[in-house]
Amino acid sequence: MKLFLARNPNTQIIDSLRKDNDTGRPWTLMEKIFLGLTPKQYMAQAMSNPLNWVFAAILLVGIPFIIARFIFGLSWAVGDPYDNAWGLFLGFGLFGMVPLSSSGFQLGSAVEVFGRHDFEPIERLGILNGILGYFFAVIFLMCDLGQPWRLIYPMFVSWGPEAVLFLVAWHVATYLSVQAAETSTAFFEWMGWPAGRTFVKKMALGLAVAGIILSTLHQGALGALSTYAPGKIHPLWYSSSFQWLYFFVSSLPGGLCMVIVVSTIAVKTMDWRCDATFKNSLSKLQVSLAKGASMGLITYLVIRLIGVAHDNKWAYLTTGWGGWWLFEIGFGVILSLVLLTAGIRNNSVTLVRLGAWTTIIGVVLNRLNVYMITFNWQNGHVHIPPFREIMIVITVYSIYIMTYRAILYRWPILFKWKTRYSEYAVLEPKPAAVTAPEAAGSK
Amino acid sequence: MHAVKQTMILGVTAVLMMLAASLCFGAGIPDKVSIGDIQKYYAPVDFNHAAHINSLKDCGLCHHHTTGAQVADPNCARCHKNSGAQPVVSCKGCHVAEPFTPEALKQQRDQHPPIYHRDKPGLKAAYHVSCLGCHQKMGGPTGCQDCHTRNDSGDALFKSGKYAPKAPAKPQAAHH
Amino acid sequence: MIERRDFLKGCLACGVTAATVSVAGGKAMAAGSFEGYPDAMGVLVDLTRCVGCRSCEAACNAEQKLPEPDLPFDDTSVFKDKRRTTEKAYTVVNEYKVADKETLYRKMQCNHCTEPACLSSCFVNAYTKTKEGAVIYNAKVCVGCRNCMIACPFNIPAYSYSSPLNPLVQKCIFCYDTRLKDGKPPACVDICPQQVMTFGRRADLIKLGHDRIQANPGKYVDKLYGEKAVGGTSWMYLSSVDFDKVGFDGHIQNEPIISNVKDFLGFVPMVLSIWPALFTGVHLLATKNKDGHHDHEEGDHQ
Repeated sequence: MKLFLARNPNTQIIDSLRKDNDTGRPWTLMEKIFLGLTPKQYMAQAMSNPLNWVFAAILLVGIPFIIARFIFGLSWAVGDPYDNAWGLFLGFGLFGMVPLSSSGFQLGSAVEVFGRHDFEPIERLGILNGILGYFFAVIFLMCDLGQPWRLIYPMFVSWGPEAVLFLVAWHVATYLSVQAAETSTAFFEWMGWPAGRTFVKKMALGLAVAGIILSTLHQGALGALSTYAPGKIHPLWYSSSFQWLYFFVSSLPGGLCMVIVVSTIAVKTMDWRCDATFKNSLSKLQVSLAKGASMGLITYLVIRLIGVAHDNKWAYLTTGWGGWWLFEIGFGVILSLVLLTAGIRNNSVTLVRLGAWTTIIGVVLNRLNVYMITFNWQNGHVHIPPFREIMIVITVYSIYIMTYRAILYRWPILFKWKTRYSEYAVLEPKPAAVTAPEAAGSK
Repeated sequence: MHAVKQTMILGVTAVLMMLAASLCFGAGIPDKVSIGDIQKYYAPVDFNHAAHINSLKDCGLCHHHTTGAQVADPNCARCHKNSGAQPVVSCKGCHVAEPFTPEALKQQRDQHPPIYHRDKPGLKAAYHVSCLGCHQKMGGPTGCQDCHTRNDSGDALFKSGKYAPKAPAKPQAAHH
Repeated sequence: MIERRDFLKGCLACGVTAATVSVAGGKAMAAGSFEGYPDAMGVLVDLTRCVGCRSCEAACNAEQKLPEPDLPFDDTSVFKDKRRTTEKAYTVVNEYKVADKETLYRKMQCNHCTEPACLSSCFVNAYTKTKEGAVIYNAKVCVGCRNCMIACPFNIPAYSYSSPLNPLVQKCIFCYDTRLKDGKPPACVDICPQQVMTFGRRADLIKLGHDRIQANPGKYVDKLYGEKAVGGTSWMYLSSVDFDKVGFDGHIQNEPIISNVKDFLGFVPMVLSIWPALFTGVHLLATKNKDGHHDHEEGDHQ
């Protein structure tokens, strides 16, 4: 795309409802899908991007793998892991992706609940990152479930309300709808349906608060799930009192850092799609996000240490597993913390971005450690997932990246939709005079 | 003093028993016993009673106190030191073939006195625990088919002989 | 700008969400401590009696109509490996060389916990603890998340991974359908030549087990495994050596597995009831002075 635009500087990339800077005829849906290019031009620019060839190669191998998994059964892909029933599909796909998607509720609540309207240029990216992460976590879940066509059973057929997973299922389902509603504003703008947009905007605060509730609970619940296996997970990664806190608290920097990473990739690889507001405010916003993330990380570090102290598990630190634990904490938390705080202090966005990478790696590593690597540690061997399982994960993740990119190309996430709908005023901050009596009244 | 008394009793008992055994060979004590009442998967056992008597001498090893022999187990001796010979001496006289039916369980629970006999094994276990336990100690045969050959329905159950799995044995998928 | 009406709408939206999900928290808390059904049956397994004949495996295979085994049931070469239960074998016997010449065998199958972890972790309620003591499974509702396999402290449930259309969790069901519900002992107990397994009311078996320990001084370690483990199991064990040496987790917790999860479950109603009010309140405070600077970091509200 970059190359194409360099060669065709006069191309109109769709950023409004109508042609010629919102003055001509409205764009058709097909035109919108091809970004205003002709299909031929679009294909040509896609073919010239080497990354697309990598994706094509992955899909060529991976899609038949996914199909084969459903035709020949789960054992074709994952073998017969009786003792390690949850492999990469859940260990990475669900437990790894969901914390990195907490950005949706955090940015949503920062803007709508805490009134931090300075985050608005990146709010939509945060929310999109949230919904895509959850959506693909569900895709991974579908790959993993023995009978994915029964996924709605916990909602409509048979209730097991005593189970943590029941809570997770309900929350993820509800939260996906909440996020769909939050993301839909961008979609409605793109489609040119201002009424839908206005309707959703009115619910913004409710949706944001619902997001906080649901996220607190299911991010924690993903950790609480591991408390069913007290003897199987290594004690350093297990704490019945703190497990849900570990997962919830680490999801906060995880989500924020994911937004830092994604926005960095976006601004580097699709500069043409980012508008000036986004580009100009990005460094400042990333540093602000890093502040939030480092607050989360320090809290996380403290409770991880308290967890070890609480059950007096210090002796384990001298074992091999202890070394691995120290690596996870040292690399994923302490190094990240150092990089992020150094970045904040020196206003160095490079350090912040580096720290964001180590943070998300640390969070994912933690999830893998809990559900895969240290699982059944007493058996003395680590369960290595078979090649087909790894390949399917790579494939689904590639589809995730491609979907992410496709949406960023089109919907007004990184740029402001040029067409102003009259309801846009909803976004403006409200005068203090109106809210003061309300605030007093609510006390 | 106590030990001397015990030795004396044991000695006298042994003499009496040998006497009794030789006396009774013609009177009620079977030389051969065919154990086949609970047979399902195996052919009946042709038990050479006489040979066992000859090599063990002590009836109490198998028959507890019921033959009138002195019991060695202090738990049994508490009540049965002087019980004398009982009218019923065969295993199946006391050990039931089906120990876990609701009725059998209730009977065990309700019996008086409510101790010791509660843990009485069923007939099949009475045979096996007694025979196999002794065989292991004394170097007797211990394989299943050393005492009773498996019949056709047994082969079918064990998936052995002509019922053996046709597929080449592949390594177990389960691992630890 | 958010008008009062919209604000109320927002609160309502939160309320509805909370109501939808509060079922989860509410019922979860109802799971208190459960002493077990009074007439639940159980099995007392005496490891010292087992001779490793594998009759129980054969009987189980026939009773549950399981697929043909890889090797005949009288083949003792299987003892080379430590096996576990699979979808083809609901019970397996493993061999343990515990001393120079002493060999113990340990039969493994579902222990039918009083408060089963599989049951409490199942989000479609596929498991039932029957009043007879069996933990049975409803294949019709199972989604295949395999949380029960993660949760089972004994690593018992297996999954028929190879079935594309109807993969199921498979484990011993105490022969519930064919035997237990009519008061009969399971097939493995019935066939055992040594009566390694004593079938009876769980409450009676606890007494019996302790009596056996007491009546045979020095023969057994003074512990009835399963009397207390993870809240008690219907299958209990006697051994002449430490349970760790014969494939048991000797340090297993006495509290039911669900008790580990209660810390989190207790937190659920709090979040559901306090968060909506808390954060709408925070919103009002945070947006009061629109132009002022807010020093707090977004997103961090722990």
